[in-house]
Amino acid sequence: MEILTSLAIGLLFGIGIYQLLQRNVIRSALGMVIVSNAVNLFLLSIGAYNGVVASYAKVTGQRSDALPQALILTAIVISMGTFSVALALLRVLTARYSTNDSERISELKH
Amino acid sequence: MKHDTHPQAAHAASKIPSIALGWLLALLPAAAFAFFAAQLPALSKGDALTWSLNWLPSLDVRFGFYLDGLSALFALLVTGIGAGILVYAGYYFRHEPGAESHESSSAAPGSKPMAQSSWFPVESRFFLFLILFMVAMLGLVLAADIITLFVFWEGTSITSFLLVAYKYKLESARRGAFKALFVTGGGGIALMAGLLFVAHIAGSSDLAKILISGDALRASPLYPVMLSLIALGAFTKSAQFPAHFWLPNAMSAPTPASAFLHSATMVKAGIYLMARLYPALGGTELWFWLLSSAGLLTMLTGAIIGLRQNDLKGLLAYSTISQLGALMLLIGQNTPEAFKALIVGVLAHALYKAALFLIAGIVDHGTGTRDLRAFAKMNLHKAMPLTLVVGSIAALSMAGLPPLFGFLAKETLLAAATTEGLPLIASIAFPVIAVIVGSLMLVQAAILIIDTFFGQGVPRVSSTQLGIVAQQVPRTSEVRGTLSHEAPLGMLLAPAILAVLSLLFALLPSFTSPTDSPFAKFIALAAADAYGNKVKVNLALFTGFNVPLALSGVAIGVGAIIFGLRSRWVNREAYAIEPKFNVRHVYTATLAGLDRLAFVATRLQGGSLRTYLAIMLVTIGALVAVFGRLPVGSAPRFSFDELSLLRAFSLLLVVASSAASVVLKRDLLAILALGASGLAMALLIALEPSPDVALVQIVVDILTTMLLLFALMKLPKDGGLPGGIKVKHSPPHRRFNSRDALLALGSGLVMAAICFFALTSRPRQSLVTPYYEQNSKPLTGSGDIVGAIVVDFRGFDTMIEISVFGMAGLAVFTLLQFAAKKHEVEKERGGEGETISPSILGITGPTLSPFIRALARIVLPLALVIGITHMIYGHDQPGDGFTAGVIISLAIGFTYLVYGREEAIQRLPWVNPPAFIGAGILTVMAGSIAPALLGSTFFAPFDFGDALKLPLPDGFYISTSFMFEIAICLAVMGSTSFMVETLTKKSD
Repeated sequence: MEILTSLAIGLLFGIGIYQLLQRNVIRSALGMVIVSNAVNLFLLSIGAYNGVVASYAKVTGQRSDALPQALILTAIVISMGTFSVALALLRVLTARYSTNDSERISELKH
Repeated sequence: MKHDTHPQAAHAASKIPSIALGWLLALLPAAAFAFFAAQLPALSKGDALTWSLNWLPSLDVRFGFYLDGLSALFALLVTGIGAGILVYAGYYFRHEPGAESHESSSAAPGSKPMAQSSWFPVESRFFLFLILFMVAMLGLVLAADIITLFVFWEGTSITSFLLVAYKYKLESARRGAFKALFVTGGGGIALMAGLLFVAHIAGSSDLAKILISGDALRASPLYPVMLSLIALGAFTKSAQFPAHFWLPNAMSAPTPASAFLHSATMVKAGIYLMARLYPALGGTELWFWLLSSAGLLTMLTGAIIGLRQNDLKGLLAYSTISQLGALMLLIGQNTPEAFKALIVGVLAHALYKAALFLIAGIVDHGTGTRDLRAFAKMNLHKAMPLTLVVGSIAALSMAGLPPLFGFLAKETLLAAATTEGLPLIASIAFPVIAVIVGSLMLVQAAILIIDTFFGQGVPRVSSTQLGIVAQQVPRTSEVRGTLSHEAPLGMLLAPAILAVLSLLFALLPSFTSPTDSPFAKFIALAAADAYGNKVKVNLALFTGFNVPLALSGVAIGVGAIIFGLRSRWVNREAYAIEPKFNVRHVYTATLAGLDRLAFVATRLQGGSLRTYLAIMLVTIGALVAVFGRLPVGSAPRFSFDELSLLRAFSLLLVVASSAASVVLKRDLLAILALGASGLAMALLIALEPSPDVALVQIVVDILTTMLLLFALMKLPKDGGLPGGIKVKHSPPHRRFNSRDALLALGSGLVMAAICFFALTSRPRQSLVTPYYEQNSKPLTGSGDIVGAIVVDFRGFDTMIEISVFGMAGLAVFTLLQFAAKKHEVEKERGGEGETISPSILGITGPTLSPFIRALARIVLPLALVIGITHMIYGHDQPGDGFTAGVIISLAIGFTYLVYGREEAIQRLPWVNPPAFIGAGILTVMAGSIAPALLGSTFFAPFDFGDALKLPLPDGFYISTSFMFEIAICLAVMGSTSFMVETLTKKSD
């Protein structure tokens, strides 16, 4: 299973990086989400136990690892916050230079 | 015409006059003063009074107050002088239109200063800062814990920055404030490091424990390091050479602030700290030489440079520096006499120097200038007789003449400088320098009074020279010359009381009982608390013919001769020219160097994302290769025994839909593909199984998609303009770019390799998770372990997270608000920015089915119900405040989508994002502080419902974690509705 998971993480990361490097800024924004998905997936898989039941006090059986889940919860929230700020920045930039092309924006800046 | 000549005056009538405000606010410190004075009898028994509260029990940090003789002395100074300053400030600002006035000439007609709409006078900002400073200073001298002490220490730096920069329209004020903050803040960092060392060695940050572990601290090999660090902090704060240069520049503060901060209180914080820590760190060779040499150099520097000042406040600043040096020198000594002299010196200096600053403020106010050259023709002794009398008493105390308290200070200083047992160099240098400085202090005091009030300034100035003066000495208003007036009695009250006290403290003990009076006992107590041992105190003015008295006579004689000959050495015009070498140049060079460094660093960043990413990836690769210690030796396990087909399938789903977002040509479809990939992530998480996180992932994914769609609607669109002109805003869509693909492939491979090694070699037994599993129900009462970790075990983390999320919402709002304004400006200029009406989404089109409109009507109430259930039962079941917040926000967003922005705002008048964010953060703070006030500790779980015996349904608890859930929900709602509201805003 680990080999599949790591392959998936690697692929997601690669796709994310590729999207980030695109000239279209909306694609770069998508790249951000994909990269943070890759990281969350990694955190999820790092849990020590192969749980069969959710991590609740009253259930019996092997619980899944609660710690990485709590970390992911925080990570999801924070990346959501960062992402919305990034979106706002993109809107400011695109409105200012009236283009969605990041290279065009760089040219116009100079 | 007449009615709008004085709009300001007409408006001012409806405001509280600043004089009344000053009197009113002075009640606060006056009450505190009475409180501290009432504690004195209890203190005289020799026990320190303490009060404390657990702050960070895991770090053994407590929030507490510690009151003994030494801190009581400072607390009385802070509150007593503080009350006087507030009354004085009320009069000081009575005519001033405030800091805003400096723009009045350049301000456009019709633009109104913000403060005009306020009910309070403009100067209320000054009063606010002053009271904040007072609180910080009081906390500093009363702190029972060195961490608390440090927090308040920084508080004084920040509030003093605000006070110095009060007239922020003046460049000199801004520069002075920055310099003060730069120097004292830098010292603060060193101080923090030093204090942490001390806490580490002493095993506690509790002041009482540190004070009794002096032997362990002095024996530690780290002793020189921590002493130097702490001394650096104290020296910068107390303006010791060579860090003294910030103090004269800080004189751009309004005079009441200078009188309070830069003479009586803040600059004495370093003195207080060193005196406080003497029992713990003092008494060594290093301590003696460090403090003595810094003190001696500072004494001399201040006394000599002070003579070269044309600015009244500059002169006072340098004499303060000199006096601070003397106090630092005294703490360096290892004798009870020195500590007696220290306490007497602190008190004497606070009394006369605060009074003199206030007098300088009155003179400045009455004449419009502080330049010693300008007073020559003004005959101020006739115009301001009362001011002259009060000022003279204070100046006599500064000069160290009997029968004033300053004389006692100088006598005790000389006695300490001539005690036996000093090293040879010190036994010569101390008396010599003390006499020199004593005589120069007399000269400075004489210049202060004679040159100001009797107009003996040499040489006389012409009006053209006054023009030059204006550039060096900031003036508050026009020079009024002969129109100078006497101050109102209320303004003279504070300096008069201080001056009279200088007299009374010297005379009363001398005529009653110099050793047994309560006053003498208090001085002895304060000195003993600093020294760590008994100190004998005799406050008689005349103790017989002895060495100190003889030296004192020499100092007075020499001073009188120097002042008498001053026409030979005073050259005021030359003083206006900066000397060639100055410590200030070092400061300027440091700042220039920092600028240069920043410039080089920014040059490295060319703005190319691709280069950054390549550098980062190569660096990560190198770091992994060097430090990663990948277990390359042991063969990784290729086991498929945990393989689940469902998981493999969802992994495929995540990757495939992410890949689709690259390939798909239309942005809208790419966004939808990404949404699908997020949902597949949720499936993976649900398979873990982890219902809480899966739920959050689902709602966040939907929210992300929605925000992306909102953003897409507003992006510049390709299309045609009338007239057949084609507009192209987006770059051409590329399916494949080999350079990017290579980078992506490389980074993906590295990532996959790291993940593979990490996952195969990860421990299969967790150290922490079992603790959470066993303790979540008994300790926090929560059956949901993930929820318990988030809101209870890591509650502080979550509180910060909420704040970050709230800030993200505010940032989005601010950014887009700014962008909208920019856009308007460009529109007015007739610039570009032609956006073509977005109808590509279908949802903004005109034909919206009635079904959807009806749906939107019921979705929000439903969402509210679901959200509230999530919060109430999230304790034992999936779901939490965050999910609740996002669900409600989604419904709000849906309303925006269906009805459009204007109608949605009308339909949802209760959606008030800033209020939600504020309420959320306040709730979480209240929830974390409440347990501490109810006898537990900060952030401890606490069941209010149980404590109040409320009848609640099964599974519902009103506890701190419930408050946390509500807070999270509110903050998330506020933040996301901010995002929705601003992202849907029309930019044209």
